Amino acid sequence: MKRKILIIEDDFTIQTQLKTLLSGNGYEVFAVTDFSQTIEQLKEIAPHLVILDIKLPGNNGFEICSQIRTFSDIPIVFVTSSNTDMDELNSIMLGGDAFITKPYNPAILLAKIAALLKKAHPFPQTETFMWKEAVLHLESSMIEYKGQKAELTKNELKILYYLFKNAGKICSRNDIVDFLWDNQLYVDDNALSVNINRIRDKLAAIGLVDFIKTKHRQGYTL
Amino acid sequence: MSGKQYLKDQLPVILINLLGMLALALFLIASDSPVQTVLFILAVWSIVLVLSLLTFYFSRKKYLNKLLDMTEQLEERYLLPEIMQAPERADEQVFYRIMKMAEKSMLERIGEVQRERREYKEYIEQWIHEVKTPITAMKLLCENNRSPFSREVLAELENINQYTEQALYYARSEHAEKDYSVREVNLSDVVHSAIADNKYLLRQSKMTIKIDDIESRVYTDEKWVRFILNQIIGNAIKYHAEQPVLHFGATKTNDRVVLSVSDNGIGIPKSDLPRIFEKGFTGQNGRTGKNSTGIGLYLCKRLCDKLGMGLSAYSENRGTTISLIFQMNDFIIGVQG
Repeated sequence: MKRKILIIEDDFTIQTQLKTLLSGNGYEVFAVTDFSQTIEQLKEIAPHLVILDIKLPGNNGFEICSQIRTFSDIPIVFVTSSNTDMDELNSIMLGGDAFITKPYNPAILLAKIAALLKKAHPFPQTETFMWKEAVLHLESSMIEYKGQKAELTKNELKILYYLFKNAGKICSRNDIVDFLWDNQLYVDDNALSVNINRIRDKLAAIGLVDFIKTKHRQGYTL
Repeated sequence: MSGKQYLKDQLPVILINLLGMLALALFLIASDSPVQTVLFILAVWSIVLVLSLLTFYFSRKKYLNKLLDMTEQLEERYLLPEIMQAPERADEQVFYRIMKMAEKSMLERIGEVQRERREYKEYIEQWIHEVKTPITAMKLLCENNRSPFSREVLAELENINQYTEQALYYARSEHAEKDYSVREVNLSDVVHSAIADNKYLLRQSKMTIKIDDIESRVYTDEKWVRFILNQIIGNAIKYHAEQPVLHFGATKTNDRVVLSVSDNGIGIPKSDLPRIFEKGFTGQNGRTGKNSTGIGLYLCKRLCDKLGMGLSAYSENRGTTISLIFQMNDFIIGVQG
């Protein structure tokens, strides 16, 4: 089941781009269009999480937040361009779950959303990925192929995770490095090559030969 | 009040008295009074005159010195009429009225300037908040449409964001007391978010990042420290050399945690080092066309002072190390156990 996210944001570009970003990451995304009907729209959509701007036409984000809190305790993420202490304090006092300032890093926003959703709905998520009989275990950071297992380092696990998530697609070296940086692994281009080679050695040892293919000048693919 | 000047001021009085003495003496001599009587009267007159001049001089001197002292002790000297006693002498009352009028117009002017400044500051803050909306929109647009081109734009956007933040903190640093809250902050979280703020710039400059164990809890304001780290990282990028490396490390002693950020960039000349935290100081590196404003480090120092944090710089030939010093007092250690 896809998680539903409601965006309450009046800037049209941000609204559409957020929609693109979030739906690209596996969420079902809605946006409030009529700000005089915000609460009604919210009740109708019944989202799992709300992204709420503070400066809005009509009722501001704080007022909407306290209105939502009268009937629901869904996670509310405040996004705002003002980063004063008062606003942050207000948002927490009124029952906001997170406070992110613009311009936010999309990776950080996605991580916050994922963490809040996990906290609100703590049922087991898929912690394994499968592709062509190879299974990636995130919890134990192992890769399994026909009963044989290989242990992975943090970097290797994240690289494989990204490749598995985008299995079938071509992942450019830059995108992989970007993803690693978003996960606080500051790997440069050379180190990426070293890591890929190590992964290939480990995969070969459990019988997965030529699992990661190099696309010349484009990147890697599974 | 100098005695000489006083004497000069009293010259008409003295002259009139001398004239009076002369006239009286002439009159008495003309009416056949003995010379002794005349001399005696003149002596008494002189003594009375001198005595009255002296007492008057000293009492005035005391009064005026008191006023001077009071004025010197006042921080806002134009407020003197508010605390001084209203004078009794006719001419002083006029001066007093003049002072009151001057004070009033001064207060009005100050009020006006303060209001203008506040409005300007509010406008700047509002402008910055507004400009962040299109920055966010552009950032999302670029992230959703990845290409070598969008990467370059994202790097430039990070620059723009740094500059706007700088302006915001500059506008705020005056009244910063109102805008910080000290909380428990995980040092590594702040460092990682500061790196994330500069992700594309760091990648563009091919910076290698090394992070030691910096899992320390300190008590400070997270967004301020993040701003300070952003400035330091920004400098490391701006003044980088071949194969740049940025190294974060932390040392913990009993009463403090020191976060040090080292780069292997072009470094700071020894002669410039003592002045880098001065406002508007650009130094040798600034003059060689690196587009420096002399604001970044000045702001860092200012914010650190307000937060009770230490900030120091070290540079020898090549590379610079900036250290942020977080004090840990007995109370904090007690709470942490």
